[in-house]
Amino acid sequence: MSVNWVLAWRNLWRHSRRTWLTVAAMVFCNVLLVFMISLQLGSYQVMINNSLAMVTGHLQVQHRDFLGDQRIRDSVPAAAQLAEQLRTTLKLESVSARGQAFALASSEERSFGVLIAGVQPQTEALVSSFPGLVSQGRYLQPGDSDAIVIGAVLARNLKVDLGDELTFLGSGRDGSFAAAIATVVGIVDTGINDLDRGVAQVPLGWFQETFAMGDHGHAVVARLPSLDAVPAAVADVRGQIMGHSEELRVLDWDALQPGLRQAIQSDLVSNGFMYAVLVVLVAFSVLNTQLMSVLERTREFGVMLALGMSPGRLARLVAMETLLMALMGLALGLLLGALLIWYLAVFGFTYPGMEEMAARFNMDDRMYPQVSLPALVWGPLTVFCFTLLAAVYPALRLFRLQPVSAMRAV
Amino acid sequence: MSAIICKELCKTFRQGDEVITGLDRVSLAIDAGEFVCLSGPSGSGKTTLLNAMGGLDTPDSGAISVGEQRLDTMSKSALANLRLNHIGFVFQAYNLIPVLSARENVEFIMQVQGMPAAQRRALADDVLAEVGLAGMEGRLPSELSGGQQQRVAVARAIASKPRLVLADEPTANLDTHSAAQLMELFVALNEERGVTFVISTHDVRVMGYARRLIRMQDGRIVSDQAQQPQGMEPA
Amino acid sequence: MAGGSGVIVVLAWRNLWRNYRRTLVMLLAIATGVWAMIFFSALMRGMTDQMVLNGLATLPGEVQIHHRDYRRDPSVANSIDAPSGELLAALQQPPVEAWAGRVRVPAVIASERDSRGVTLLGVDPDAESELGSLPEQIVQGRFLADSDDRGLVLGASLARKLDTELGKRVVIMSQDPQNDVADRGARVVGIYRARLASTEEQYVYAARNTVQGMLGIGERVSEVAVSGGDYRRVDEWAPRIAAAAGTQLEVLTWTQLDPFLGSMLAMQDGFTVIMMVIIFLVLSFGLVNTLAMAVFERVREIGLMQALGMRPSLILYQLLLESLYLLLLGLATGNLLAWLTVKPLESGIDVSGVAEGMEMMGMGTVLYPALAVEDMLMATAVVVVLGLLASLLPAWRAARLDPVRALNKT
Repeated sequence: MSVNWVLAWRNLWRHSRRTWLTVAAMVFCNVLLVFMISLQLGSYQVMINNSLAMVTGHLQVQHRDFLGDQRIRDSVPAAAQLAEQLRTTLKLESVSARGQAFALASSEERSFGVLIAGVQPQTEALVSSFPGLVSQGRYLQPGDSDAIVIGAVLARNLKVDLGDELTFLGSGRDGSFAAAIATVVGIVDTGINDLDRGVAQVPLGWFQETFAMGDHGHAVVARLPSLDAVPAAVADVRGQIMGHSEELRVLDWDALQPGLRQAIQSDLVSNGFMYAVLVVLVAFSVLNTQLMSVLERTREFGVMLALGMSPGRLARLVAMETLLMALMGLALGLLLGALLIWYLAVFGFTYPGMEEMAARFNMDDRMYPQVSLPALVWGPLTVFCFTLLAAVYPALRLFRLQPVSAMRAV
Repeated sequence: MSAIICKELCKTFRQGDEVITGLDRVSLAIDAGEFVCLSGPSGSGKTTLLNAMGGLDTPDSGAISVGEQRLDTMSKSALANLRLNHIGFVFQAYNLIPVLSARENVEFIMQVQGMPAAQRRALADDVLAEVGLAGMEGRLPSELSGGQQQRVAVARAIASKPRLVLADEPTANLDTHSAAQLMELFVALNEERGVTFVISTHDVRVMGYARRLIRMQDGRIVSDQAQQPQGMEPA
Repeated sequence: MAGGSGVIVVLAWRNLWRNYRRTLVMLLAIATGVWAMIFFSALMRGMTDQMVLNGLATLPGEVQIHHRDYRRDPSVANSIDAPSGELLAALQQPPVEAWAGRVRVPAVIASERDSRGVTLLGVDPDAESELGSLPEQIVQGRFLADSDDRGLVLGASLARKLDTELGKRVVIMSQDPQNDVADRGARVVGIYRARLASTEEQYVYAARNTVQGMLGIGERVSEVAVSGGDYRRVDEWAPRIAAAAGTQLEVLTWTQLDPFLGSMLAMQDGFTVIMMVIIFLVLSFGLVNTLAMAVFERVREIGLMQALGMRPSLILYQLLLESLYLLLLGLATGNLLAWLTVKPLESGIDVSGVAEGMEMMGMGTVLYPALAVEDMLMATAVVVVLGLLASLLPAWRAARLDPVRALNKT
C-alpha cells in the first residue's frame, strides 16, 4: 500500500475519539435514513396495493366520461363479453365487469341512499378483496339473482340481518323508475368505516335488469400480479378496445386514484426535507472535524510545505482521510441499517396510535419495510457524498498556508 | 563556482505596530562544499536569511541565487520543486510526521519526489544506515530520542542527494552528546559527499564545527571569517 | 467565590471565541438544526390544524349534543327537543360563543338524470353562521335566507354528478319517524364550494323549519352543535354542558366524536418531540466533539488552573457555561431564522399540485404553516437540556484531569 494511504489512515487515529464520534454521527444518520426510507417505501407499497385491492384494481375500462362524474348513462356496452375478451388478451382470470347505481335502500325500519354495485361473483373475488372479508353469511355465488352483500355499518344503520329483505328505489339508465327487492346473504366487515357504510353488491345480471342497463356495465376491472405489469397491460387493453368503441378508454390506477400517487409524492417531498437537514447536520460535523484536524496540524503541514511538497498533495491527503472516514461511516451504516431492516422485515414495526392511522389510510397495523437495494443505499450514499463535500473547505485552506508562518504557528 | 550568492537582501516584518528588520542589505557568497555557520542572538536575522536561501521566504528587495537559479524571480511552485529535489532541510523540531515510522518518513518524501516504489524501501534503509539508525527503521518518532529523530530528518534531507543542506537550529532540543553526534554526521556528509552545509545556530558547540562563521546582528552581517574546525572539545 | 464566578463567565465567553472557526461551524450547525426543528413543527402543526379544522367544519362545533342512540343509528327517530331550561341557560353562557340546533339525516337526492346518497342538513342560517359551519363559498346563487327558506343548496361537485344546475328542481327523499319515505321537490337556489370535494358531495343544505316540516318532527333536531373558540381547550367547558344536558342526552367533544382527529393532535405532539430529538441527536455528535476538542487543546491550561488552586467543580462549570453560550447563540439564530422563514409562509403555501393527495389526508390545497411559541420553547428546551447533558461528559473529563500530568503534556 502506498505511504499516502498509510499516512491518511494513521492520521485519522491521532484523535481516535474524535474520529469515532464523527463516524458515529454518520452511522447514526445512515441507519436512521435506511430505517425511515425503507419503512416509508414499504408503507407506500402496502398503501397502493391495499387501496387498489379494495375497489379500484390496477386498470379499468370505462366510458370516457364516467370517471369524473360517475353518471349512470356513461356506460360500457357488452361489459361481460368485454371482460371475457380481456381475460384472453391479458392471459389473466382476474378481470371482472361491474356496474353501479345509486338507490334508496329501505329495510323495514330504515332507509339509506347507497351505491349499489353489480358484480360478477366468480371473477370479482379475484379482483377485489371484499369477497374475502365477508364476516357473516356468504359472498355472492354464480346463479344468485336477488341476493345482496352489504357492509357491516350499513347493515347496522339499516337494522338488517342475514335473510332480511331490502327494497331499492332508484332510477334506471334510461331515466325510468327502478325498484326491486333483494335478500341479504352476506355482511362484509373491512374494519374501515367509510367502506363498511358504502358497500352493497348484487349480481351483475340482476343489476342490469333492475336498472335497465341491458348488457351494459360501468367498468371492466383488472387486477394484475404487480404494479410493474401495469403499463404493458394498459397498452394491450388499449389495442384490444381500439376498434371496439370510440367511447371507451383505459385507465390505470394512477388515473383512477390520482390522490394515491400525490399523497405519496407530497409525503416523499416533506420527508425528503427532513432527510436533507439530517444529512447537512452530519456534513457540518464532518466539516468541523476536518477543519480541526487541518488547523491543529498547521505546523506539520508547514514543515511538509517547506520540504517542497505542494499544497495540492496535502489537500489530497486530507481528502483521502475524509474518504476513509466516509467509507467507514458508509460500511458500518449499511451493515447496521441492513441488519435493522432485516429484523423489521421479519418482525414488523408498529407505534402507538398507528392503528387509527392504519384504518384511515388502508394500511396494515404493522409496517414492514421495503427490502430493496435503493432503499438501503440511498441514504448512506447521500451522506457519503456530503461528507466528501464537507472536506472541501478545510482542504482549500491548505492552499493559503505559507510554510514559514505555518511552521511558527502554535 | 558559488553555491549561494546574496546581493543586497532586505526584508522587514510587521509585528503589531512595530516594523522589525529581518534582513538589512545582506550580501554574501557561499561556495560549493563549504560548511558555514550563521550565528547571532535570536532576532538577528539568521533564520530569515536561511529561509531566503531555501526559497521559503522571498526578500523584499535584492537578489539571491542558488546554483544557477535566481530564487527571487521564481514562482512558488518552482521554488517548492527546487526545495523538494535540490535542497535538504533540517528544522529545529516537529520535523517528522508523527504517525509514520522512520523508514516511512524517508520513503514518503521519496515518493513525493517521484522515485519508483521498488527502489524506495532499500534506499530508505541505506540512508538510515548511513545516519546510524540501522535497526530502528520501523520505529515511530515518539519511540526515538531527540537525537535519533534529528538523524531521521537528516536522512530524509539527503535522500534525494541534494548539493545543499540548510539546517535551522538543528541542535536546539538536543543534549550535548546527541548534538555532537549530529554535527559529526554533518561534517562526514560534507567531507564524503561534498554537500554544502549552511547551519543557523546560537549554540557555541555547533560553531566549533564550522569552517566559516558568519555572525549576524539586527539583520546585518557583523563578521564573516574562516576558521579551523575544532569540534566539541574546547567547549 | 462570587468574584470567581464572575471571571468564569467572562473566561468561558472568551474561550468560546479562541477557535472562532470551529465555534462558527458549530453555531451554524446548531442554528440549522434548531431552524429545522421549528420549521418542521410549524409545517406539522399547520397540517394538523387544517385536518382538525376541516374535520371540525364538517362535524361542526367542538361539542355536540345528540340523542343517546343517534350515533349508532343516525335516524330521524333519534332526534331531540330543541334546547330549553337548564341546557339553554348553559348554552347562553361564556365561553360558549355560538350554538345551533340542526336536523341531520341520511337522504337520497335525485335529479332528472341521476341520484345520490347524501346527508341532508336542516339548518338555521343565522345560528350556523355564528358557529362558522356554513359553506365557505357560494359560487352560484345564494345561501338559504332564513329557517323557512324552501330552496336547497348543493355542493358544486354533487351538482355536477347529478347533472343538475342552479334553478333546477331536484327531489330529496328521507325517512320520517314512522319509517315512511318523506320526499319533496325543491329548487336548487345555491351552489357552494368546500375545501374538500368529498364535503361537497356529502352535504346538502336546506332550511331547518322546512326539513322539520317535511319529516313531520315539529321542533325537534338531530344535534346541537356548540362552539367555544379554541378547540384545544374544549375539555375545560364541555363537562358543564354535559351536566346541564342531563342523562338522556349524549354530550361529546370533538375528540370523542372523531377519535382519529383527536389522536392526530396527540400524534402531532409526539412526532414533533421525536423529530426534535432525532435532529438533536445528529447534532450532538458534533457538539460533544467540539467540546472534547476544546478540552483537549487546553489540557495544559486546565492543569495550570488546577495547580493554581481552582476547584474541579469550577472547571466543570466553566466548560458547561461555554457549551451553554454556544447552545444559546445557536438557539437565538435558529429561532430568528425560523421566524423569518415561517412568517412569510403563514399566508399559505400552494400545494394544489397534489390536491387529491392532500384530500386523502383530509387537507385542502393550501398549506398554512403555523409558528407556535410552544414549538419554539420546546425546541429551546430540547436543545438546552440535551445539549448540557451531552456536554457533561467532556466537561467532567476536564474536571478530573490530573494537574501534574496535564501540565507536562506537550
